[in-house]
Amino acid sequence: MDMDGKSKNPVRRAYRRYFWEFGSAMVLYVAMMWVRNWLLFGARPGASGPMEHAPQGWQIAVAAMPVTPVAFVLVAIVRLVRNTDEMQRRVYVESAAIAGAATALLAATYGLIEGDFFPKLSAWWTYSVFMFGWLIASGFLWRSYYR
Amino acid sequence: MKNRLKVLRAERDWTQAQLADAAGVARQTIVALENAKYSPSLELAFKFSRIFGKAIEEIFQGLADEGK
Repeated sequence: MDMDGKSKNPVRRAYRRYFWEFGSAMVLYVAMMWVRNWLLFGARPGASGPMEHAPQGWQIAVAAMPVTPVAFVLVAIVRLVRNTDEMQRRVYVESAAIAGAATALLAATYGLIEGDFFPKLSAWWTYSVFMFGWLIASGFLWRSYYR
Repeated sequence: MKNRLKVLRAERDWTQAQLADAAGVARQTIVALENAKYSPSLELAFKFSRIFGKAIEEIFQGLADEGK
């Protein structure tokens, strides 16, 4: 048994790797957002960007460019879930399932009432609701294992 | 599922973090196991069996044994 301070614990390694990957992806996201906004909208408010007259396909590609680091975050999360221990994996997967179901229910409910009674919302809210729901659900599940 | 992890760990004077490292799990998982809030898989139970040098049934008490 390795009882010295230098742990070979795979769970700690997985978390270290996750935080590094998540941090790098966030830095890349901020950089790509800056480049995207500069290309499409210019450096100053009211100014036009270098791609203002580019073909629409290119403008869409540039607008969606920052999703690349978001995909990196997704890969980092999947890697963490796969490399952590069985109990933590259970908490993450269970809470993701609860958050997914809650998001689907909210999206369906809002889909039925939007337009006539409520304003049409950006697709971003589903992402935010899912992530927030995942956080809350995992918090409750962690509590249930430690109380 | 009840178990003797806490007792066996104390007998060896190990911390939860040391046991977690030996089993390759998070310390929080050891906390949940010791508090009988989580039942380990067979694979993890075998790991504890190897770590403590004891049979699985000497460490973990199944639901069927709890009434005895």
